[in-house]
Amino acid sequence: MATAITQDEIDSVFPTVAEMVADALGCELADVKPDASLIEDLGAESIDFLDMVFRLERSYKVKIPRGKIVENARGTLSEAEFEQNGVITEAGMAQLKSYLSEVPAGRFKTPTKVKEIPRLFTPVTFCKLVISAQRETKAAG
Amino acid sequence: MPLSTPQLAAEAAPAHAFAAFSFVDRIDEFEPSRRARGRFLVPAALAAFPACLVAEAVGQLAAWVAMDAVDFRGRPVAALAGETRFVAPVAPGSMLELAADIESCDDDAVSYAGWAAVDGRRVIELHDCFGPLLPTAEFDAPEALRDRLALLRGEGAPPARFRGIDALVATPAGGERGQSRRATLAVPASAPFFADHFPRRPVFPATLLLDAGIRLALELASELPAWPAGTPLRLVSMTRVKVRSFTPPGQRLDLTVSLQESARDGASIALAVSADEKSVATARVEIRAGAEENRR
Repeated sequence: MATAITQDEIDSVFPTVAEMVADALGCELADVKPDASLIEDLGAESIDFLDMVFRLERSYKVKIPRGKIVENARGTLSEAEFEQNGVITEAGMAQLKSYLSEVPAGRFKTPTKVKEIPRLFTPVTFCKLVISAQRETKAAG
Repeated sequence: MPLSTPQLAAEAAPAHAFAAFSFVDRIDEFEPSRRARGRFLVPAALAAFPACLVAEAVGQLAAWVAMDAVDFRGRPVAALAGETRFVAPVAPGSMLELAADIESCDDDAVSYAGWAAVDGRRVIELHDCFGPLLPTAEFDAPEALRDRLALLRGEGAPPARFRGIDALVATPAGGERGQSRRATLAVPASAPFFADHFPRRPVFPATLLLDAGIRLALELASELPAWPAGTPLRLVSMTRVKVRSFTPPGQRLDLTVSLQESARDGASIALAVSADEKSVATARVEIRAGAEENRR
């Protein structure tokens, strides 16, 4: 099982990720707080997520498949364990809260649909995405 | 400035697919999922061929590689373009040499770079382009696209079928002299290019929208105090293009250009396009003052 991502790892990539988020969203860097909701607080749309991933892939020389955040968030749970008919299961919610530990508890609502997961994304979510992609790239040699 | 010859468009505009907004005549080299080299003869009868349509031609070549890579299940749509460098203008009658190099492509998206040249000299370069793939059948007949690619890779399509596009004139809507300009652009409810872009779902081409934005940016640049009135201005590059949504026929678009930076020899201008107060597209336009070519 993969080692948990540390705060030091997040801190090391956050400045670059924050700059890319600010650039992609056209917002002030100061507004890109680690736990800001990209959609609710910073006005991100789906195209902005594609933009951010595209920029991160280039900057960090990693490959980030679309849907990778949800896949990472699911962890070791199977798809059926994580969601049923598009709604996240109890076990799935526990896993999601664990993966998105930077998201304030009050932002999680029950039930949550899989398609609503992006509403929880924060800049730190993208830091984690980069770190896991870097690890995979390193592991692949 | 008209995009090309309105009178030609009015007389005999082709209203069918693969003519009114198609800018690849032939594909000479094709490495599946990786690269293509092709060409497009800019009809000599046109009054002009805007730089945005040159970029469109490169994008269309990349789209052929992408659609083939996913067996025509998906077709890319314009979304992001990191940087487009406009090196030199293209005159009607020129043979455009087109190149598309695919960086990655799957059922979700394609990323690519590309360029166009005339007589071996680069006229445009595209870097860091990215387009999501959407279900082809929503826009076009997959079999028609498949047959078209076979034609392009074989004998090639008959050249000079593009007959120009009616002038799309933005109406001034205010602004602050030397700082910003606003205009509205009425997208026509019908036009020949909608039959080609796309046959099953007409969408106003993002390149035409950006072309209107560039012209507005040049107007703003022309009134900057950094250079004497009448100084020739050149479009150097367009960066950070982000197209957020489709524009349907008949839509009213609000264009805003605002000065970001100005130096002795150039200016950086932000472009924002919206419809019903919702952002449609954004970009940054770099303009240089002076008559020399952009060649590096």
